[in-house]
Amino acid sequence: MRLLQVNLRSLLLCLLVLVAVSIPVSFFAIREILNEEVDESLALHSDQFVKHIKTFEYLEDLEMDLGIWDQLSYDITITPTLEPGNEHLYRNVSMFDSVEHELRPFRTLTTPVEIRNKHYLLTIRMSLVDNDQLVIVLASVQVVIVVLLALALLLLNRRLTERLWRPFYHTLNQLKAYELDKNESIEPATTKVVEFQDLNKAVSHLTDRNRKIYLQQKEFIENASHELQTPLAIFHSKLDILMQNPSINEEAANTIGELEDAAQRMTRLNKSLLLLSKIDNDQFADSVNVDLSLVAQRIVDNLRTLSDLGEIAISVKAQPVVVTANYSLMEILLTNLFHNAVRYTAQNGVVNVLLADRTLTISNIGAPLKMDTDRIFDRFTKEGVHANSTGLGLSIVKKICDYSGFKVSYLYAGNRHQFTVVF
Amino acid sequence: MKILIIEDEKELVKSMTQFLRQESYVCEVAYTESEAREKILLYDYDCILLDVSLPDGSGLKILETLRLNRKADGVIIITAKNSLEDRVTGLNLGADDYLAKPFYLPELVARVSAVIRRKRFDGNNTLSVHEISIDLLGKAVSVHGKHIELTRKEYDLLLFLVSNKNRVVSKNAIAEHISGDDAELLDKYDFIYSHIKNLKKKVAEAGGVDYIKTVYGLGYKFTT
Repeated sequence: MRLLQVNLRSLLLCLLVLVAVSIPVSFFAIREILNEEVDESLALHSDQFVKHIKTFEYLEDLEMDLGIWDQLSYDITITPTLEPGNEHLYRNVSMFDSVEHELRPFRTLTTPVEIRNKHYLLTIRMSLVDNDQLVIVLASVQVVIVVLLALALLLLNRRLTERLWRPFYHTLNQLKAYELDKNESIEPATTKVVEFQDLNKAVSHLTDRNRKIYLQQKEFIENASHELQTPLAIFHSKLDILMQNPSINEEAANTIGELEDAAQRMTRLNKSLLLLSKIDNDQFADSVNVDLSLVAQRIVDNLRTLSDLGEIAISVKAQPVVVTANYSLMEILLTNLFHNAVRYTAQNGVVNVLLADRTLTISNIGAPLKMDTDRIFDRFTKEGVHANSTGLGLSIVKKICDYSGFKVSYLYAGNRHQFTVVF
Repeated sequence: MKILIIEDEKELVKSMTQFLRQESYVCEVAYTESEAREKILLYDYDCILLDVSLPDGSGLKILETLRLNRKADGVIIITAKNSLEDRVTGLNLGADDYLAKPFYLPELVARVSAVIRRKRFDGNNTLSVHEISIDLLGKAVSVHGKHIELTRKEYDLLLFLVSNKNRVVSKNAIAEHISGDDAELLDKYDFIYSHIKNLKKKVAEAGGVDYIKTVYGLGYKFTT
């Protein structure tokens, strides 16, 4: 549920409760005010009537006139009484409404009056607002208000989502699309809303900082690999010198040989790491049109002399496939894939290379892998122990494919390991 | 023959001079760019080994100066940055060869002697060791004047061993020299051994002496 919907829902709920409470409250309030007004009006009416009558006190037959008045007038009764009252008495009564054929509420005021030393009770009545009608009117007014308010809120909500929240969604979408290794920074939309400004500031700060750390890390790996080259060179050179010593015995010679193997392994590992970080650092940006079939043929020709010794046949079926990519990377890509296939092919085995329709397939027969094949392109995942394998060859393949926009996949089917690159 | 090593890593310089001196090369050393500039102004060298990254500047600048002054010294660029651009820039500036760190010293010797041979080329394009003579231009080998048929790799192997004669050359150095990046697959087969065996056989068939000695645990040595 969206934040604004939550907001709207609470607002509407609150509105409903308020309206539900306001109907009885306003009903009673309005009725009270009306009754008060009616009472005041009755009191005034009664007072003025009495004063008016008093001006006619000189008339002899006033008593009879009052009797006639009582008979003729609808809303005033004036009846003689024996007891001299002194209280104003307000009462609610119901009377039949002959027009609407129903009982209607009336308010009456009974006042004791003394005219020509005789006591009368003057009763004046006025029609009151019908309670039922009042409730109906009040309720319908409130319902209309509620509906209008709800509609207004809904419209406002929609507008707010579109307008007010635009910078928020802009930032959110940029965050979703953000990739640390791409050289794009987040550019938040300008906004006057303080919260969004804060959010944008925080997001920019966070991404810039992460990016900086990431770049430092990348730079560090490259620098570290570079810096390692010199001590490795010294190490190699010292071994070469040591080897020349004629007095070394067989055991020492073996040790030196083993040291050299280890040094070479370090060198290869370091070169692979350097290559990975160079790709990361975008140092292979220049692209040319490369005919992969020519590259493949050249690599296979070089490999043949080697594979002949292991009686491994390399069968190549290649049609010209031209891609726009970095030449060195393409060489490395194919070399690594071919090396991988040759390395894991048993004696008298065959490596099949098929290049056509922008797809390269390299397959060889072999036992299924024991490792998790989803991790086959991860760094330092090796099947078995090959002293000369760095465990980086396939991750370099993956990196080059990602970098060049190719798709590489591994499949084991029918006793064959198969790597496919779609260009 | 005079070689100038321009390199700031003292230990590496020590190994390089030690190794090159055995081959009757005279080595001089410059640890900084200014030192190097002084030396190349005053003397001529047969080969200059030039490190690209120097504490007080870039080795490539020295190369530019050298070529501007029309010095004919052979130059091998040595760098820790094994990048294609560096290689292309270096070779475009007139370097004769390019070697990435880390390298095997026999590889360095092979490169140095190749550069010197090219510079000293005076109609004589053969390299002779006793009865074996190597035609460097035609890439052909003859023993007692009799041509022997060698594969490309066997030829490379022989030249590499001859360039490093009387030195122990490790199997790894040989593998790297003749197979480059493919060398990492060589452990699978006794690749070097079979090439050496074939080479020896071909030389012996032509009546040559077996100069290639196996140094147990390490590699091979061409002894004269």
